[in-house]
Amino acid sequence: MPGLSFDNYQRNHFLTTRGYGQPTATSTGTTIVGCKFKGGVVIAADTRATAGPIVADKNCEKLHRLAPKIWCAGAGTAADTEMVTQLIASNLELHSLHQNSQPRVITALTMLKQHLFKYQGHLGAYLIVAGVDPTGAHLLSVQAHGSTDIGQYQSLGSGSLAAMAVLESHWVPDMSKEDAMKLCADAIESGIWNDLGSGSNVDLCVMEVGKDAELYRNHLTPNVRSEKARSYKFARGTTAVLRESIRDILDVEETVITFGSASVDAMEVDA
Amino acid sequence: MNHDPFKWGRPNDATYGAYNHHIAQATPYAYEEQHASSTSTTTSSFPKMNTQNPIITGTSVISLKFKDGVILAADNLGSYGSLARFTNIERLIRVGKETIVGISGDISDLQQIERILEELETTQEVYDNFDGGDDLKAPHVHEYLSRVMYNRRSNMNPLWNAIVVGGFDKDGKTPFLKYVDLLGVTYGSSTIATGFGAHLAVPLLRQLIPEDKDYVNITEEQARECILNAMTVLFYRDARSLDKFSLVTVKNDGEFKFEKELRCEGQRWKFAKDIRGYGSAQQ
Amino acid sequence: MNSTVASEYSSEVHSTPIEHRFNPYSDNGGTVLGIAGEDFAVLAGDTRQVVGYSINSRYEPKIFNVGDDIVMTANGFAADGAALIDKFKNQLKWYKFDHNGKKLSIKSAARYIQHLLYGKRFFPYYVSTLIAGLDEEGKGAVYSYDPVGSYEKEQCRAGGAAASLIMPFLDNQVNFKNQYVPGTDGKEKRPLRYLSLDEVLQLVKDAFSSATERHIQVGDGLEIFIVTKEGVRVEYYPLKRD
Repeated sequence: MPGLSFDNYQRNHFLTTRGYGQPTATSTGTTIVGCKFKGGVVIAADTRATAGPIVADKNCEKLHRLAPKIWCAGAGTAADTEMVTQLIASNLELHSLHQNSQPRVITALTMLKQHLFKYQGHLGAYLIVAGVDPTGAHLLSVQAHGSTDIGQYQSLGSGSLAAMAVLESHWVPDMSKEDAMKLCADAIESGIWNDLGSGSNVDLCVMEVGKDAELYRNHLTPNVRSEKARSYKFARGTTAVLRESIRDILDVEETVITFGSASVDAMEVDA
Repeated sequence: MNHDPFKWGRPNDATYGAYNHHIAQATPYAYEEQHASSTSTTTSSFPKMNTQNPIITGTSVISLKFKDGVILAADNLGSYGSLARFTNIERLIRVGKETIVGISGDISDLQQIERILEELETTQEVYDNFDGGDDLKAPHVHEYLSRVMYNRRSNMNPLWNAIVVGGFDKDGKTPFLKYVDLLGVTYGSSTIATGFGAHLAVPLLRQLIPEDKDYVNITEEQARECILNAMTVLFYRDARSLDKFSLVTVKNDGEFKFEKELRCEGQRWKFAKDIRGYGSAQQ
Repeated sequence: MNSTVASEYSSEVHSTPIEHRFNPYSDNGGTVLGIAGEDFAVLAGDTRQVVGYSINSRYEPKIFNVGDDIVMTANGFAADGAALIDKFKNQLKWYKFDHNGKKLSIKSAARYIQHLLYGKRFFPYYVSTLIAGLDEEGKGAVYSYDPVGSYEKEQCRAGGAAASLIMPFLDNQVNFKNQYVPGTDGKEKRPLRYLSLDEVLQLVKDAFSSATERHIQVGDGLEIFIVTKEGVRVEYYPLKRD
C-alpha cells in the first residue's frame, strides 16, 4: 500500500483518552557538536545518559560508526539513534559493495532523512553526520522529522545552546585539526557544566581526508568520582541466609578411556 | 445505544439532561468554544481571569560581577509575538544612587514595576532618608521586588517578568547581583542572565567566572568584553533579539555609567556566501 | 467543525485541550538530609538551585539558622521555601518580643511549623521541610514534614529531589535496617547504637557525593549545619559540577 496509513489513528486517540497512551521512550539529554577544519572534520559528544532526572549511564557512547570514515553523533531517543544508525550503516555497506566504491556522506544523509521522514518524527533521532569520502570532508545534521542542515559547525541536543555559544564565540575559518579538536571539546564541556542533561566525559572522533578515522574515546575525563569517606564492607553473615537448598540438576559420570601406550606417549611428527 | 466511542459510559442526555458544566467550574475554555452552539453556557459566565500572558515582550537581561562592581546589559527590542514591534525600549532602570534593575518579559508589567520602584524611591527619600538616614541599596530593592513578585504570584495575578538587580551590598563595597522572577523564585550568583540568555549567555559568562567567588579577580575590561561577546552571540541565535542595546556599569568608587544605543560590533556573516542548499545539493 | 464531506474525525473530541494557564509552582531541585545523634543534630543540603535543565546558581544556600539553635530547610519550590522560612523567623522574633526573650523549644517550633504549613492547605507550600536541633533533654532531634504539615520526629530523614536515593542508604547505615548479627541466621537484628559526629559526617558526605553521581539536580556544593550544645556550626564541601 503506498503512502502513509492512518487506519489506527482514531482508535489510538480513543485509547489515549482512556489512559492507554503510548509509553514514552527514554530520551537522552545530550550535548553533541561537530566542526570542520582544513582537510577534515571532527565530531564530539558527552557521555551521560538520563532517564528523567536520574543518570542511567555515566559513560555511554553517543558516537556511532556509519562507515569506516563516516561517523555520526546522536541525540534524542537513545534506542532510535542506535537502531537508525545500525540500519543505515548496514545499507550503506551493501550500497558501497554494490557500487564498488567508497560510501559517501551525502548517501548516508539521504538514506537517513528519507527513513526519518517516513516515520514523521516518531523516530526521535537527532544526528550530526560527518565524514570524509572521495568528494572531501562533510558536516551535516538531520532532525527527527527528516529536515537537514549544513554548516561549518553544528550542535544538537539539550546542551546545544551552551555548546553553540562557545562555537559562535571561538570558531574561525580554516582551523587546524588541533584547534578544531580543542573547540569541539570546549563546546562539549560547556554542555557538561551548564546543561543538566549532559555530563561526565568528552568523546571525540576525527576524520581527515586521506587518513583513517580516529576515535578518541574519553578524550577528556573532567568528572572523576572522589574517594568515599567510609568503607561499606559488611561483616560476613550480616545478610541472613534464611534457607539453603542445593539440587543436582544433572548427574556427572566420569569414564576413563585408555588408548594403546605407543600412540599416547609418542605422537608421530613429521621429521 | 450511542456507538460514538467518546460517549461510551456517559450518562444519557435524553435520560438525565445535559451535564451542567458550571458545577465546580468544570468547563475548560476550549470545551465551551467548541460547543458554544450546542450548550446554553456562555464564556461570559467564566470566572474572572487574573492570569494573563505576555503581549509585548523584552528578551534576555545579562549581567556579571567584577572586582569593583557589576555590569548589566539588555537590548532595546519590544517584540509582539514574532513581530519586532518596538526598537527603542529601555529595559535597564536606575533606582537610587547606585542600583540598576534589568527587566525582561512583559513590557506593560515592566512599566508597572518602573512605577512601583519610583514610588519606593520617593517614600524612602521622604521617610527614611530625609535627615540623612540609610540610602536605598540593591539588597533592599531586591528584597522589595521579590516580595511584590511573590505576592502577585500567590494571588494568581503575576507580573510576567524576570528581573536582575545589580548594585552593592549594605557595606557599599561588595558587588551585589540577584534575580527574581514571576514566581517569586530568587537566587544570587556572579553570573546571571534571564530568558534565552540563561541558556546561551550564562555558559560564556561562567567561562570567565567559573566559581562564584572568582569575580574578585576580574577587571572591568574583561567583564565588559565578555558581556559584549555574549550580546553578539545572543543576537546570532535568539530570534527575538536586537543588535542595539544598553549597558550599565556600576563601580564602588561611585561611578555609574549608563551607555545607550550600543551595537554588536564585529559580526561575522561571511560564512553565508559559501553555503549551498541544506545538504543534498551536489554543488 | 462542519466539513463538506462527512469525515470520520468530525466528532472527535480532544480530551486534553492545551491549557495556557499560569502555573504558580516550579521545581528547583536540590536535596536535603537531617540526622539526629546522641548530643548533636546535623542538617545538610546541596547548594545548587535549578530550573528545568538549567543551573540557576551553584551556591544558593537553602539551610538557615533560624535562631534558638534551630536549623531549618524547606526544599522543593524555592520561592515557597524562602517564604516559609521567612515567616517562621519573623514569628519567632515576635514570640521573643512577647515572651521576654524566652527560648523556643524545638518541640514547640515543630508544632508551630505544622500550623504554618496547614494554614495553606488548599494552596500548599510545595516543599519538604526539615528542622534539626536539640530537644529538652539535650538529645539530637530531627523533625520532618510533608507539604501540608503532617510531621514526625525522626532519627534521620532525606528530603527533596534525591530523597528516594538517599533514604534507603540511611535506613541501612543509621538504623541498621536489613542487617543481622553474623552467625544468628537472621534471628537477631544488629543492635542499634548512636553514631558519633564523625561517622555521621562521613555518611552525609558519601550520601551527597553518591546522589550527585546519579541525580542531575544534585551537585556543586554541600553545606552541613551542625547543632551541638555549643551552638550552630557550618561546614562546606565542594561537589561535582556536571
